[in-house]
Amino acid sequence: MKKLLEISLGIVTSVGGFLEVGSMATAAQAGATFGFQLIWAILLGTICIIFLVEMAGRFAAVSGHTIADGIRERFGFNAFLWPLLATLLVNFMVMSAEIGGVSIAAELATGIGFQWWALPVAFLAWLFLWKGTFGFIEKGVAILGLVTLCFVVGAVMLEPDWRQVAAGAVPSLPGHDAASYWFMAVSILGASISPYLFMFYSSGAVEDHWDKTYLGTNRAIAGLGMSFGGTISLGVLIVAALVLGAHGINQVNDYHQLPLMLIPIFGFWGFVLLVASLAIACFGATLEIGLQQAYLVAQGFGWTWGEDLKPRNDPAFCGVYTLSLLLTAIPIALGLDPLKLTIFSMAVTAASLPLTVVPFLILLNDERYVGEHGNGMISNAAVILIVALGFVLAVVSIPLQILGGS
Amino acid sequence: MDLLRDLLDKQVLDRKQVKIGKVDGLVAELRQGKPPRVVAVELGSITLARRLGSRPGRLMAWLAARFGGERHAEPHRIAWNKVRNIGVDVEVDVDVRRTGIFDWQDWLRDRVIGRIPGA
Repeated sequence: MKKLLEISLGIVTSVGGFLEVGSMATAAQAGATFGFQLIWAILLGTICIIFLVEMAGRFAAVSGHTIADGIRERFGFNAFLWPLLATLLVNFMVMSAEIGGVSIAAELATGIGFQWWALPVAFLAWLFLWKGTFGFIEKGVAILGLVTLCFVVGAVMLEPDWRQVAAGAVPSLPGHDAASYWFMAVSILGASISPYLFMFYSSGAVEDHWDKTYLGTNRAIAGLGMSFGGTISLGVLIVAALVLGAHGINQVNDYHQLPLMLIPIFGFWGFVLLVASLAIACFGATLEIGLQQAYLVAQGFGWTWGEDLKPRNDPAFCGVYTLSLLLTAIPIALGLDPLKLTIFSMAVTAASLPLTVVPFLILLNDERYVGEHGNGMISNAAVILIVALGFVLAVVSIPLQILGGS
Repeated sequence: MDLLRDLLDKQVLDRKQVKIGKVDGLVAELRQGKPPRVVAVELGSITLARRLGSRPGRLMAWLAARFGGERHAEPHRIAWNKVRNIGVDVEVDVDVRRTGIFDWQDWLRDRVIGRIPGA
């Protein structure tokens, strides 16, 4: 019974935490421009993150290590620096985009320009981290995050042609705008396979003292939670494809176009739901990435860490998230376009994945860490193939996108 | 035991289970006609910087001495006979408050973090 409760709670956490500015923006863009054609990218990304999250939990439960601990110990400090710096940089960009997402939601709700909201949002996030405990943040984000299910409800209410939806699950070549098609595919992969997500999950598993008895729970949470999460992204894409397309919008290049997505379905409440979804999903992600930055640095250097400690007992840990929040708010406060930043940082995430995922996979196949609970052939192959695909597409399409100038 | 594989870069806990850092370096004593012997583990930024090269090492030593005083011009060492247990973590029979390892974190707490309400 207790396990069942834990599993449901874990699933709620993954669902509530899955959608963030990246998956929302990339799915909306893809739906508006290419209809259902890019659904396969969401599916591939979701399959990959299911495997990675399951591995992260299994690694933490069996070895007692977080991913950062494991990579540093197994590969040494010099090799650890590469994934460390890459992840810090990617997290920085994504966190800035999330703060931008909350700020846009605040702008939509109040009419006051988004750049004025960046610092207040960062301050509010800091206050949550400063005063909150891990459980409070995890569960708060999860339960409020369920509002994002409105996209799934909306998608079903629109009664899409499910055969066409299924056809989108098979990768196909674009009929137009090939460069932006592949760039969007990369951004979707980057948005689904967020390194902060599985690294955060391993820190959480260690904070909650998981051991081998949690392996089944972990498998259920990873599989079901991430699948439901992916379903929400799918909902966003379907809604965008049907609603935005019908209104003649086939390119989302401004956050102000987003409210239009839910209004035809839910009327005025559609506007409210969209603003709430955007604000909550991005705010939750800001908290999680802020924590993850602090976890990563503290674990990498062996400092005392834990969100449940008072700040004075882990000053360096708190210092990292305080500084991260302040610095990531600055680009948005200076007026950097949150949507452009979001899409770009998702593509960069996809490009950076091999640096974190490859050492991680080696750990998951190392008996000294995971004993008999090592990876199977299928999970290894699936993750390698999807991450390699994301990397190759990113390396090809990011320069094209920059040169193409959109 | 394979020192580099099983000891280097492991988490270090002090007597009170406080996470005080990682095994950033090992100090071995070369002995005539006998195999070298590990005498201490090293912690801290100077040791880490030395692993990146001699120039970063000198730079970090200079910075540490500049900001931390002469006391911090050398890496922190914990004698090998203080190492108690090597498992997931390395436990040492040392009280971190009696070392200089947390000086900078203490500074951060006393000067910055501790001054913010609610800390």
